[in-house]
Amino acid sequence: MEIMEHLAYGFGIALQPINVLYAFIGCLVGTLIGVLPGLGPTATLAMLIPLVFSMPPATALILLTSVYYGSMYGGSTTSILVNIPGESASVITCLDGNKMALQGRAGPALAIAAIGSFIAGTFAVLVLTLVGAPVAGYALHFGPAEFFALMVFGLSTVASLTGTNVVKSVITTCFGLMIATVGIDLVSGAPRYTFGNPFLQDGIDFVVVAIGMFAFTEVIVTAIEVREGTRAEIIKAERIWLSWEEFKYSVPSISRGTVFGFLVGMLPGAGATLSTFIAYNLEKRICKHPERLGTGDIRGVACPEAANNAASGASLVPLLTLGLPGGGATAVMLGALMMLDITPGPLLFQKHGAMVWALIASMYVGNALLLILNWPLVNVFARVMSVPAKYLMPIVLVISTIGVWSLSYSSVDLLLAAGAGMLGYYLRRNKYPIEPLILGLILGGRMEQAYRQALIISKGSNFIFFTKPISLTLLVGAVLFLFLPTLLAKAKQFQSARAASEGAA
Amino acid sequence: MRPEGRLGGVLIMTFAIAYFIVGLSMPRSSLGDPLGARAFPLVLGGLLALLGLSLAVAPVKVGGGAAGSGRPSMKAAALAVLLCVYGYTLPLAGYLVGTILFIGITAYLLGERSWRLLIGLSAGVSVGVYLLFTQVLDIPLPAGLLEFMKG
Repeated sequence: MEIMEHLAYGFGIALQPINVLYAFIGCLVGTLIGVLPGLGPTATLAMLIPLVFSMPPATALILLTSVYYGSMYGGSTTSILVNIPGESASVITCLDGNKMALQGRAGPALAIAAIGSFIAGTFAVLVLTLVGAPVAGYALHFGPAEFFALMVFGLSTVASLTGTNVVKSVITTCFGLMIATVGIDLVSGAPRYTFGNPFLQDGIDFVVVAIGMFAFTEVIVTAIEVREGTRAEIIKAERIWLSWEEFKYSVPSISRGTVFGFLVGMLPGAGATLSTFIAYNLEKRICKHPERLGTGDIRGVACPEAANNAASGASLVPLLTLGLPGGGATAVMLGALMMLDITPGPLLFQKHGAMVWALIASMYVGNALLLILNWPLVNVFARVMSVPAKYLMPIVLVISTIGVWSLSYSSVDLLLAAGAGMLGYYLRRNKYPIEPLILGLILGGRMEQAYRQALIISKGSNFIFFTKPISLTLLVGAVLFLFLPTLLAKAKQFQSARAASEGAA
Repeated sequence: MRPEGRLGGVLIMTFAIAYFIVGLSMPRSSLGDPLGARAFPLVLGGLLALLGLSLAVAPVKVGGGAAGSGRPSMKAAALAVLLCVYGYTLPLAGYLVGTILFIGITAYLLGERSWRLLIGLSAGVSVGVYLLFTQVLDIPLPAGLLEFMKG
């Protein structure tokens, strides 16, 4: 088995003491930050990217994925113990999780969240292991026309499924693509939108915009909300073990959550939030005793938690094989990869095979670490929530500022980040989603190159995109996706998922 | 409905038109590059102008209540200005001096009034972050006013 050989090699790298240490730190830091309200996986990753540049690429990636995993898990902890979801994907977990905690069953709820996440996460990685290389192999036949269509498809799915209004999502996508045009044009060498400023010739770094839009904006929003400062009471978990009966009772829900979560997560743009809503609602229709769900039923925690982690794992499939991220957090990961000089996509498995397999292996390690780390420490993590914003926000600001500064040691970047923060605040206030902007910024350069290369091949005719079957299918799909929200507007779980991501974004 | 929807649409359209006009001055297609540097920006500018127009004509209803619905306060504006000043003076003042002041002032703005805590927090965090960046991650930070201490 070729895959087993690759995987064994990957484990060889992932199990090096230094990488295990970083995976451990990543899970720990990720969970700690994930527990904090407001700072979701995307802001956390954006903040940490500058810190990983001095590391070897494999180690940097391992650290980032474990932070991603950890922050997802941290969000569930607060859903259960405080009824405040750390991020939008754990909104559903509040329903049954917090009721369980109120009934004195916080321990089993946290335990099943950890176990469900572990099972689903491992399943997702397993599928990634099996299908990753074949999908990438298939995509190797893609030419510039297909890639352009693929990126249009990715942008359109993300625009259609994030935020509350497609027009607004497409507007922020455009902003992102526009920011990407700043700098020297790679084909003709002409400067674009630099206004004679030499610092702008290299273009605007996506990290600068991401930190500004996610971290700075978060601080400004918190500063405004700080006087409301009502913190819910934390319910302490007494017994942290769960009984064999409870486990057996949850297994079917975990497996269903895993499968639904994975399928939804594969779709670019859908991401973890939508998967939890769909999984929970399907669970309600399929399971025995559906009336128990919502009253503190352990399956109501097991199912969405499994879906959430399966979806986060699944979203790495299009990210690594096609270079197409599924949402905010994976978009930031894509940017990080590109800054480390690794371009995800079909060639990734060939060019950086060792690193990909190390990453996949480290995801198995990270899943196991999370289970070992979080379960016993759950009460400790919950206490982090009560760190007042007035201490926390200055620290977030300093780490982000120094992170931006360390990119190229220039004040121009810092001013750009501050500007992005203010624009981000305006956008958030007026319900424009930020994720499509970041994605547009990251994909913009490659998209334009693909477009122009395709037209060079076709000698200037735009028909090339419609005469190739793959690109035609993708473009038709992209248009259909833009109309999807109008069709889905009546579906309840879609509406509530939107409301949730809006509230917690 | 808040008026920002319509106003936002007009602002977006104005920006898109400006972007389009700047794009017009870019080089046209050349040999082996049928599109040239200006094509992509022109498409984007045009598309965004249309979207802005549609928003200005039929604004989307913006409901209140969710994230960031609080009124923007002087505090938030002060924070943004402070951030710019901090960023701009970082190379001059140096990391340690600038950061200690910055954390102190931010925490004060956010409501901390105990001087002992303010000084402890700002000094502690500044030194901690300094050690993390310079010692663990090997990222140099500007010394600024403390340059003379390097010897």
